[in-house]
Amino acid sequence: MKQVQFWLRWSWRDLKARWLQVVAIGIIIALGTGIFSGFGGQKKWRINSLNESYGRLNSYDLRMTLTDGSYLEKEALLNALQDTQGVKGIETRLIIATQVDASQADETILVQGEIVGVDVAANGPHINQLYVNQGRDLIEADTGKNVVMVEYKFAKHYGLKPGDALHISGDIPLDFVGSGQSPEYFYIIPAEGVFLGEASYAVLFMPLETVQGIAGREGLVNSVVMTLDGSVDGKIVQAEIQQRMAQQFPDTGFEMNTRQEDNIYKLAYSDAKNDQVTWNIIAYLFLIGAAMGAFNLAGRMVEAQRRQIGIGMALGVPRFWIAFRPLLVGLQIAVAGMVFGLGFGALLSNIFGGYVKDLAPLPYWIIKLDMATFLKAALVGFLLPFVATLIPTWRAVRVNPIDAIQSGTLVAKGGGLTKLLNYLPIPGQSFARMPFRNILRAPWRTTLTILGVAVAITLMTMFVGFLDTFVATMDRAKEALLDEGGNRVQVNLNFFYPIETPNIQALDTLKTADGDPLLAQVEPRLMLGGTLKQGDTEIETMLELVSMDSPIWKPTFVEGNLKAGQPGIVLSEKAAKDLGVKVGDTITLEHPLREDTFSFRMITSEVKVAAIHNNPMRSLNYMDMSSASMMGLEGQTNLLVVTPSTYANTNDIKRALFSQPGVSSVVGITEYTDAFDEILKIFAVFLRIVQVVVLFMAFLIAFNSTSINVDERVREIATMFAFGLPVRTVTRMQIVENILVGIFGTLLGILAGWLLLQQFLAARVEDQLEDINLIIVLSPTTILISIVLGVLVVALTPILSIRRMLRMDIPSTLRYVE
Amino acid sequence: MITLDHVSKHFQMGAVTVTALQDVSLQINKGEFVVILGPSGSGKTTLLNMLSALDTPSSGKICINGIDITSASRTDHFKFRRETIGFIFQAFNLFPSLTALENVQFAVDMRGNHHPKNGAAQQVLTQVGLGERVRHFPHELSGGEQQRVAIARALAMGNPVLLADEPTGELDFRTGIQILQLLEEQALNGKTVLVVTHNREISRVADRVIELSSGQIVRDGLPQGGKAAISDLHW
Repeated sequence: MKQVQFWLRWSWRDLKARWLQVVAIGIIIALGTGIFSGFGGQKKWRINSLNESYGRLNSYDLRMTLTDGSYLEKEALLNALQDTQGVKGIETRLIIATQVDASQADETILVQGEIVGVDVAANGPHINQLYVNQGRDLIEADTGKNVVMVEYKFAKHYGLKPGDALHISGDIPLDFVGSGQSPEYFYIIPAEGVFLGEASYAVLFMPLETVQGIAGREGLVNSVVMTLDGSVDGKIVQAEIQQRMAQQFPDTGFEMNTRQEDNIYKLAYSDAKNDQVTWNIIAYLFLIGAAMGAFNLAGRMVEAQRRQIGIGMALGVPRFWIAFRPLLVGLQIAVAGMVFGLGFGALLSNIFGGYVKDLAPLPYWIIKLDMATFLKAALVGFLLPFVATLIPTWRAVRVNPIDAIQSGTLVAKGGGLTKLLNYLPIPGQSFARMPFRNILRAPWRTTLTILGVAVAITLMTMFVGFLDTFVATMDRAKEALLDEGGNRVQVNLNFFYPIETPNIQALDTLKTADGDPLLAQVEPRLMLGGTLKQGDTEIETMLELVSMDSPIWKPTFVEGNLKAGQPGIVLSEKAAKDLGVKVGDTITLEHPLREDTFSFRMITSEVKVAAIHNNPMRSLNYMDMSSASMMGLEGQTNLLVVTPSTYANTNDIKRALFSQPGVSSVVGITEYTDAFDEILKIFAVFLRIVQVVVLFMAFLIAFNSTSINVDERVREIATMFAFGLPVRTVTRMQIVENILVGIFGTLLGILAGWLLLQQFLAARVEDQLEDINLIIVLSPTTILISIVLGVLVVALTPILSIRRMLRMDIPSTLRYVE
Repeated sequence: MITLDHVSKHFQMGAVTVTALQDVSLQINKGEFVVILGPSGSGKTTLLNMLSALDTPSSGKICINGIDITSASRTDHFKFRRETIGFIFQAFNLFPSLTALENVQFAVDMRGNHHPKNGAAQQVLTQVGLGERVRHFPHELSGGEQQRVAIARALAMGNPVLLADEPTGELDFRTGIQILQLLEEQALNGKTVLVVTHNREISRVADRVIELSSGQIVRDGLPQGGKAAISDLHW
């Protein structure tokens, strides 16, 4: 026992002698294990929370959506479907587009959105129930009343609360009684919009009858949600429903999807999984950085004790006890790293949990410590420094005692790769040569430091590369949408109207408050949902029929051409690529065909790919207005594109058209790109945090290395001082050496970051961002910033050693013989 | 050349004050080959540290080449060492990442005399008998060769005072003799050479021996028995 105490005391002194380096390495290990433990279990708790939220709100198993513009009698539809074998529950809805005015005294909030009319009878809805965040739920007594529950994320974004004023298209006032969530809207993704679209898209839940009244669709519905018996085969149910629909409503088109095919559902789960991949990459890179640092420090500590190890062996001390001292130091670092790491992990987990809860709130959260991940992190945090000490210790106790004793000054000598540089002429004074020589005199340590710095820069490059990629993609989208007609406004109508309708014709005559013309141009268009098909590939699309000689805006072709009056389709680059087609090929287009006023069915037509346009959004594809006849919509419109006169702006148009009958939403074209910019801003803040953390890691690694170097070269530094070399010159030499390490590490990091960025985004595109043609780039600015920051942080660490050098006892150091 | 006027040095070791040098006064002339002799703890290293401005006296005054180094600033001390002193250490203290030639060139560069073709450094190395070993790194040289490189480095500084701290301490007799010869030659060439040692035998070749004990000069004069030839030494 006494012997153990003796070695413990001795190892504690070793630890104290290098406390700064030990703290630095402890923090790096804590960062690695902290991220590992803090983020390692996020997939599990996010998925558990999603399961709980979908389960408790009784999410649908099967959803049927009628083709745009199609409506069916609620009772007829229910009668046709409700005794379908395997269907446990069934509810109908009416979902209509609208414009929402939630403007407050100090803020204009005028966004597009949709109203979901749900059956509130007998405490409904029972499928896709509403979770109340604020205020109260919809109740049966609300039937027929203009009572609304606002989707929580929209309300939260604008700080809206029950009782606040709320109007919808037609300037209809609503009684805002509560805000809440429903499974189909756990994420808000407007049809032409982006992830996290709650700022620009409002979802309103209202009693079905009320919505039918507002929309002038009394008794009609356009959406059905069903729950199925657990044992039933969903495919069989779908087949039976398709058969019944074909028999009962042959002229009405519809689409069906399971919950698993729901875009929101897929996104929610894949986001949790993909985020985990991201965090794992970060955690592993941090751990690699920590490993480099731990090996660096442990190697030097054992090296410094090598002579003592030799003496111990010469005195006949058993190897076990000789190895005990350095191993104890490793053990102490391991325990410290592990404890700090887990503490840091718990903190990160809390912060991240809060961030996720805030960004994508769910009704129910089950955030529990994932014991397996926790133990894994603890093990990694412990093993990393311990193994880092074990390896050099094992090597040290295996040499002959005399070799260990005779190791002389024990510092890295001028051997190894240094000799190579002897033949490489480096201009300037010997001071200029020394940093280059020092780089190679301890190649293993230099390599570890370079790799450590590279790991940090890899992380930084990868994350800033995400931002660059999204910005470049966004710029491309802006170029496509805004290069011409950037002031145009899209007026979505709530149905298909003849272009000659008096209300549409009268738009030209609208005036501003001052009596000036409101609009400069009005152009009718069509917007339809459809599916592009080629072989086994199917892509959902928003098909816009636009006059190809439009004076306002038409798509910009990167290949091919489509003139007004010509048939053919203009595909996005991504759609063409995913379908494997080029200009001149023919694809199958599934699109609606109008059969009756409220009845559309889906048919397929072969269309020639006439051109490719430059918008990176895959779902945006175009045809000429003359192709409206394919859909039975000749002379009809459901989308007007207008431009403001010189006397008006977008807001004036929104205000003026808000109360116009038939207008469901009015959206300035820049709002689509503004939504992207909002998300990029959130993302950019997150990236700045990552940047600071990784730079801190690079700093710690560089500091650790510099500090070890100063320790190891203390006698050389003392010699230089004895010869009168000023501290600034010695520091300059160290800075030059670190600049070299920084340059190598940074360049390597940028390369690795670029490769990871491509790999990572390629995987994400397949899984999550399939609708966007991501332009994967690393901007010159990012590269420059990475180089400057990477090199600068590493280069400047020797400044922290100046005080130590100034306080050096030169005479003692000069006489010191290890 | 070198004047010490009532120099004392005290160290505080906790509550105890240790006197390393006590009222030391002496004068050393240009071109003298002086051995400072004494056992461990006699104050000889402290004296050397004072002379090289690596440490400052608690009291008294030290003037070297007319410069009062006791009142000089830290920056002036660096300048003084750069321009006045050449160091030779017991453990050589060569820069391991530089070759023999570059170690010497380092000293040349210190003075700001940059010679692109390493002419001066090469010349000094040849002078100490290492003209053929210029491209070797310190760890590729023997102890004696390393000390000769260290001497060459000190000489290349071109400074008038050479301070050698136990220069033969790590060397065998034969190599030690060669080093002493080199040092003696420097004195003959007009440099002031101060060698600190506890080896009484070495002091026999000096022009003057200053013997210290408990921080005080106990003897200052010619070696006992007169100056001996280096060939007469043995230890």
